[in-house]
Amino acid sequence: MSKEIDLGLGVLDHQLVDSEGRRCGKVDDLELEGVADGRPAVAAILVGASAWRGRGVLGRLAARLARGRMTRVPWQEVADVEATLKLRRKASELRLGRGDDRARRIVEWIPGAR
Amino acid sequence: MRVTDLLGVPVRTESGESLGHVHDIRGELGARSLRVTGLVVGRLGLLERLGLGAPRTPLRVRTRDVLPWSQVVRADRCGVVVRSQAKGD
Amino acid sequence: MKNLLQVALGILAAIGGFVDIGDLVFNVQAGAAFGYRLLWVVVIGVVGIIVYSEMCGRVAAVAGRPVFDAVRERLGFSVGLSALIASEIVNFMTLAAEVGGLAIGLQLLSGLPFHLLALVAALALGLVIWVLPFEWIERLFGYMGLCLLVFAVAAIKLHPDWSAVADGFVPSSPPGDRLVYAYFVIGLLGAAMTPYEVYFYSSGAVEEGWTPKDLGLNRANALIGYGLGGFLSLSLMIMAGALFLPNGIEPELLGTVALGAQVPLGTIGLLLALLGICFAVGGAAIDTCFSGAYNLAQFFGWEWGKNRTHAEAPRFTLAWLVLIVLALGVTMTGIDPVMLTEYAVIFSVVALPLTYLPILLVANDRAYMGRYVNGRVANAFGVVYLLVILVVAVTAIPLMLLTNQGQG
Repeated sequence: MSKEIDLGLGVLDHQLVDSEGRRCGKVDDLELEGVADGRPAVAAILVGASAWRGRGVLGRLAARLARGRMTRVPWQEVADVEATLKLRRKASELRLGRGDDRARRIVEWIPGAR
Repeated sequence: MRVTDLLGVPVRTESGESLGHVHDIRGELGARSLRVTGLVVGRLGLLERLGLGAPRTPLRVRTRDVLPWSQVVRADRCGVVVRSQAKGD
Repeated sequence: MKNLLQVALGILAAIGGFVDIGDLVFNVQAGAAFGYRLLWVVVIGVVGIIVYSEMCGRVAAVAGRPVFDAVRERLGFSVGLSALIASEIVNFMTLAAEVGGLAIGLQLLSGLPFHLLALVAALALGLVIWVLPFEWIERLFGYMGLCLLVFAVAAIKLHPDWSAVADGFVPSSPPGDRLVYAYFVIGLLGAAMTPYEVYFYSSGAVEEGWTPKDLGLNRANALIGYGLGGFLSLSLMIMAGALFLPNGIEPELLGTVALGAQVPLGTIGLLLALLGICFAVGGAAIDTCFSGAYNLAQFFGWEWGKNRTHAEAPRFTLAWLVLIVLALGVTMTGIDPVMLTEYAVIFSVVALPLTYLPILLVANDRAYMGRYVNGRVANAFGVVYLLVILVVAVTAIPLMLLTNQGQG
């Protein structure tokens, strides 16, 4: 069953959630393919500071300040689109949520962080 | 190409008539794909641009008025050109 | 029946959290300057925050979105980022003011030096957040914040002219400086409509997994919580109008505020007032600090939540830790928390449209809200307050500059 959706309003800037329910970033941009040959489709979700370069002046500035990294998530990894975009696999398998992984190493130093 | 390359770019017909700007990109969500089916172009009211007044659909669409992709001749970050009979959907 | 009790306790705990340093400063200063003439503004402000928080709660329950998710989805990355930056600056100023205010409250209770107590305050807050489950934090600060009810008792015991008080609920032409009066109108509205409490509330609602079944609870929380917070604000203004204005006292210190309870009620009044101030401001500091972390996490898509373990939401955890440390740094410079509060409230009012509008938009969006979309009444209020907020946002800084922060 297929549903209609607007990419800007319904996909862009929405929250990504992995198969375990973990929040792992926002849809920062979408990679399109087939635009030139008349069969356009969304190829992948782009996540990460580097993807902000297409998001306006502040986006470019922010991308530079954040020393942008970017992760590309092929669209086939998307299980469902509702309020959030649910992914088929875990964040770690998709190379998402790495910022949290890096931060966790710092937080775990403090006793009681579990 | 990225979706943000197309959002906001001007749209005109082959004969040079301006149709407005790309407000959004309509897609069709399949089991494992998201195909682009058209463009939301042109003179949207303020409310629609803010995302209000949308028809009651399960997902997010701004309006029912969509320019089908079959009418698109060329699309890049400089602009979109459509066939001259494309307007008045 | 037990459910009802739980709800009542929850709301009671929340009341203590709805008065913060902005309310303490502006309501008392307004009362000392204009007596009861600005009571009507408090009512308008309280209704405004009820409208805003009810909408945010409804959006959270029905669409599953906290405020900054809605901000980014609706305003896009660039505009949304500006809203985020503005909100974070305001949050941070408010947090620093609250840490400083807490330090002053502790100083009045203990007599120990300010800088030491600022450190103690920040450490205590950090420790409480780190160790205690959030329910306990809410209960602790909420119940103890209820000590502020001493101000209501004090206001009554000061025997104000009740007919003058009643007149104060009707807007009237001010005697003397109109610009200063206007500045206080802005300040009172800003103090009543502090957004960080709403971000906090909306995030909590999403975390608790609220559904449309919780909409009644949402309305009760908004109405009763902020309603009674408004009652406390009114008490503060009436007390100040009855005690400070006739005696020409300008309450520039938090200690003076506590005096308002001591004069009619003696030492017990003073103690309750100081305890109430410490816990209300401390609780507000915790909410502000979390709010700052929530906004960042929700905008950028990080994991967040006060009920997660700290390691499960590490960037969120680091965010609030860093905020407290930086706020402590600002407090240690010796900057006057009361003055910082005034700036924070004014700036918060300037930034308010940026986070109010996306919520109003989402609340009107049938695809997100289904049949819980704003009805005609909700929209009437929602749009009227949008206009109020826009007017206030535009006039706030000019008035602040023209009146030299209310000094005239």
